Amino acid sequence: MRYRADFHIHSCLSPCASLEMAPEAIARQARKAGLDAIALADHNCAFNLPAFASACAGEGLECLFGMEVTTREEVHMLCLFDDLGTAVELGGRIYDSLPSIPNQPDRFGDQPIVDGQGNILGFAEKFLISASGYGVGDLPAMVHERGGLLIPAHIDRAVFGIVSQLGFLPDEDFDAVELTARGDPALARHYPVVRSSDAHQLADMGKACTLLEMEQLSIRAVRESLWAR
Amino acid sequence: MKISDLKLIESLDCLQDEFEDADIAAGYTSDLLSDVMANAEEGAVLVTIQAHKNTVAVCSLAGVGAIVVCNRRPVPDDMLEAAAREGIAVFTTADNQFRTSAMLSQHLAGCPAR
Repeated sequence: MRYRADFHIHSCLSPCASLEMAPEAIARQARKAGLDAIALADHNCAFNLPAFASACAGEGLECLFGMEVTTREEVHMLCLFDDLGTAVELGGRIYDSLPSIPNQPDRFGDQPIVDGQGNILGFAEKFLISASGYGVGDLPAMVHERGGLLIPAHIDRAVFGIVSQLGFLPDEDFDAVELTARGDPALARHYPVVRSSDAHQLADMGKACTLLEMEQLSIRAVRESLWAR
Repeated sequence: MKISDLKLIESLDCLQDEFEDADIAAGYTSDLLSDVMANAEEGAVLVTIQAHKNTVAVCSLAGVGAIVVCNRRPVPDDMLEAAAREGIAVFTTADNQFRTSAMLSQHLAGCPAR
């Protein structure tokens, strides 16, 4: 089966995302946008993944569980898993490594933790846009030991992409690189390319997506489909 | 002023001293490596808080011979190993980038404050 996948979507937990991005609204919008598989990837935090799992199950939508980690070098990296518990565990480590700088909601936006119905359970206290304690060179082992995919995010952007931060795309054990809708594929060198919306509001979901040939969504199937291209 | 002269400066501690002892032509201060790659002068000393092996890779490409890591940021072993392979000196300091740059600027001008 051919999947239309968008593996980089932010929920309301990310302070820069719209508060309309409740997990249940994301799952419904995915259907409207014709997506077959999605992943939630909030900044440095996995607190909304349980709600996302139940929202996708409610819609009968296949999903992956992720986060967008900011490395010490201030490079954004997508970490994707097919096991909720594994993603939540790594998310906890990433969050714990953030500096103890509290969010200032008036200035940066709220960071609500919600349930599958959109009810607010609490707020992430640390400012999620800070850099984690882990470097570009630390993440491949951390993600692969846990059976996940590691993908440098929006490498064609002028900010927070691996090329903008380091000046080049290093030889590391990345599973793919992510480009925005019109990013130049030459930047990807030998790595497979995924395209994602990086949606911070519902209307942007699916504006960029990746076509994957798979029987069923899993990390292994995504990796095989990417490298078979 | 040569790179080895940096070892004589009290506020700098040398972590990696297998380097080619070239003249220091200039200084460059930046924490964005794409900027270092684009704008650092050949033979410069780099003042930064970016303490990781990719900093060494960029310095090697840009012809930067010495790196000063500010604010006592931890310097990982793989950074020092890469620097030894490339012959790039690595120093650490408790000072921030501004103070370090000002201090080095005086040394490069031949009139250190003390």
